[in-house]
Amino acid sequence: MNDSPESSLVAPALLLELPAADRLAPAPPEFRQSRFHRLADRWSHLVFLACSLLVVALIGGILFFLAARGLAAFLPLTGNTGRTLSFAEVFLSTDWAPSSDHFGILPFLGGSLAVTGLALLLAAPTGILTGVFIAKLAPSWMRSLMRQVMDLLVGIPSVVYGIFGLTIILPLVSHSFLKDAPASGFAISAMILSVMIVPTIVSLATDAFEGLPLSLDEGSQALGSSRWQAIWHVLIPAARPRLLTACVLGLGRAIGEAMAVQMVIGNNPQWIALMREFTDRAPFLRALFTPAATLTTELVQELPNTPTGSPWNNVLFAMGLLLYLLTMVLILATRRFGRNEVA
Amino acid sequence: MRAIATLRSPSRAKHVDKFMRGVLWVIALGFILVLAVFVGAILHQGWPVLRLDFLTRMPETLEAGGGIKPQIFNSIYLVLLSLGLSLPIGLGAGVYMAEYAGKGRTLNFFRLCIETLAATPSIVLALFGMIVFVQTLGWSFSIRSGALTLALLNIPVITRVTEVSLMSVPRELKEASYGLGATKLQTILKVALPYAATGILTGLVLTAGRAFGESAILVFTAGTNTSAIFPDFRLTVPGETLSVHLWYVTSDGTLPDAREIAAGTAAVMILVLLILNLSVRFLDRAIRRRTR
Amino acid sequence: MLSPKTPETKPVKLSVKDVAFSYGEKKILDALTLDIHAERVTAIIGPSGCGKSTFLKCFNRIHEVTTAVKVSGDMLIDGVDIYKGGIDEIDLRRRVGMVFQKPNPFPKSIYENVAFGPRLFGVNDKVTLDVLVEDALRKAALWDEVKDRLKESASGMSGGQQQRLCIARALAVGPEVLLMDEPCSALDPIATSKIEELIMELKESLTIVIVTHNMQQAARVSDYTAFFWLGRLVEMDLTERIFTTPRERMTEDYITGRFG
Repeated sequence: MNDSPESSLVAPALLLELPAADRLAPAPPEFRQSRFHRLADRWSHLVFLACSLLVVALIGGILFFLAARGLAAFLPLTGNTGRTLSFAEVFLSTDWAPSSDHFGILPFLGGSLAVTGLALLLAAPTGILTGVFIAKLAPSWMRSLMRQVMDLLVGIPSVVYGIFGLTIILPLVSHSFLKDAPASGFAISAMILSVMIVPTIVSLATDAFEGLPLSLDEGSQALGSSRWQAIWHVLIPAARPRLLTACVLGLGRAIGEAMAVQMVIGNNPQWIALMREFTDRAPFLRALFTPAATLTTELVQELPNTPTGSPWNNVLFAMGLLLYLLTMVLILATRRFGRNEVA
Repeated sequence: MRAIATLRSPSRAKHVDKFMRGVLWVIALGFILVLAVFVGAILHQGWPVLRLDFLTRMPETLEAGGGIKPQIFNSIYLVLLSLGLSLPIGLGAGVYMAEYAGKGRTLNFFRLCIETLAATPSIVLALFGMIVFVQTLGWSFSIRSGALTLALLNIPVITRVTEVSLMSVPRELKEASYGLGATKLQTILKVALPYAATGILTGLVLTAGRAFGESAILVFTAGTNTSAIFPDFRLTVPGETLSVHLWYVTSDGTLPDAREIAAGTAAVMILVLLILNLSVRFLDRAIRRRTR
Repeated sequence: MLSPKTPETKPVKLSVKDVAFSYGEKKILDALTLDIHAERVTAIIGPSGCGKSTFLKCFNRIHEVTTAVKVSGDMLIDGVDIYKGGIDEIDLRRRVGMVFQKPNPFPKSIYENVAFGPRLFGVNDKVTLDVLVEDALRKAALWDEVKDRLKESASGMSGGQQQRLCIARALAVGPEVLLMDEPCSALDPIATSKIEELIMELKESLTIVIVTHNMQQAARVSDYTAFFWLGRLVEMDLTERIFTTPRERMTEDYITGRFG
């Protein structure tokens, strides 16, 4: 190999070579980049950075203001009008009776978890299976039809879901199961919620299955397994981390949904006692339609009715803070699944 | 391999396969049915109410026969204001993440924040807006409180869609621009963003749809009343939107024809949603035609 | 074409001294030294993956915005080191134009594609722009074909026309050097020969460096040819000599097809 300058170039270049210079001859005036553009280019990224930092600041700001109001319940602040509460009597008590000075929020937390859990129980399997269907089995016309259906389902406003539940499902349930007694409660909220969160799960699950290497699918079918066996034994396990993420994000949507649930759930903070009564009198079905309440519905229901600075009002903000912290935990959880996937 | 273990009886496997395919079809068709029943029922209920004077009359507070004219105006006004507030910020943040943040921890952290904001329940944003705008700044229930809080809902969506659309700009186009002596800013403004514009526009339409349907935020920031003047462009007056109106008339119960008004309002919202979805489909097709 | 008998009369435009490129830990090119003369066509040949394209991109520092290639050594244009202070990469990229492997017109009209460059530098006057656009399109031998449809989208043109449009676009900002990265690899033979003719015309006023994997093309259009192999410069000489009497055995093997 030969790369010395003498042998690589025969032409008498040295004679014609220009002396080394510090700068080039200036560009012709019509092709000179203006000072404005140079300065703009140098500093513009700060504008973009500021926009991103604003988002970070918002995350922190929301936490700060919610904590300031939510934690006020537990601190002897001058703005408070009632007594200072303890963490235990708020977070570990099922006794909610603000008028008689009891502020246990477990009924709402329990209500939220029950409704969300039920909704996920309905939405996760159907959503994941629909994801498989769209990604692996459906003919292309069906695929695009399903995409449009999901786009529409996710776009329908929550109050419209609420009014549908209120004017169509509630009377229907009341008529067919409850001998025309008024219906409301967990089961109906969960049904509506499941339809609301299913598009999230379907779209993430579809992405998860489409992201799998084709070889997985082909490999297991080459071994003679049926399409379904390939899906059940190979594809679903392989996509598990991302399916989990899909479910967690669906869960996040469900737990934070306020209006639709508020319109159909019945808004009864004393649902635990009522449900006990129903189950004692036997019909399990009736218990499913116990009017209940969740963190979000109680906020919507009572926030406009409570004076600022009262323990009641402060506890409502503490419930908001709890919802926000739950969101953060769920998002961090999806990050963990993501990491497992890489490993 | 587990797949082999289940193969003991091939004919049984075949039956299971057939059965499960059937189940998947049923589930998928079930969702289509749910949507059809849903949209059908809402439109069916609302149709008798949907007369022109329903759309063009002022609402009543105690008597029947009120319209939804100011709510329609407020919905559009608030959506436009909130988009105007969130678009520059979302665009800026999206540009930063796609073009400047690199690929390391910074980007990851910003993404985490965007995801968190996107997943934050709207009732939590409502509380934030209520504390900051309604109470601390003393703006009470007003268009400006509502628009600013609603913008918080839009920002993460616009950021994400900007980032994704910019990522899809072909490298060759950027190189061509740099190769002609463009600065990075010129390349972003003159090549990357115009190329990404259709994608961003699609995202904007979807964001508008979401903001249009949002109610929890606005109940606590824009309020449940409307100005007596029409059209009232002042930012300091309360601005009840269609979605808030729909919720309020059903939960308040002072109106004798609350049911009809709710049904009509829901039908209007569904129609708007269908129109927005159609325009998204149209934009999508435009994008696909260009990439081909 | 320059023959061994006529002495070189043109000055050195680009000069590379002991340059190495690395991508992360991986060395792409090493110990590279060569000179490129003004108003000549220099072809760079070699098997794919030998670092030819990277080498080209380093001349206008475009790799800095899209990849993470590190450069060491001296790369000079008119005797000025393009990686040292005192040079402005924005102006450098204008002086050193580039034509890419795949035609990459902007999704705009034909006119706007060519006007894009001048507009960057604040030329917005319609009359000036018209002159610049027509001039560039003429130089790229495209004017007669497109003068009646300047407002039409560039994506409706044939591949060869698109590539000539990209050349016109580069010419519109008054470059001194034109880097061409396998400009004909996506084109049919007729379009290719048009581009080759264009190269022969353009070298009257420009320094052209062309990367190609097509040996005949190198032989047809270039005055000098450099042969790269596995990240090294094996040999550089007058094209005529490279294709008739190469000094290195490896060069001969590559040119005659006994390779790979």
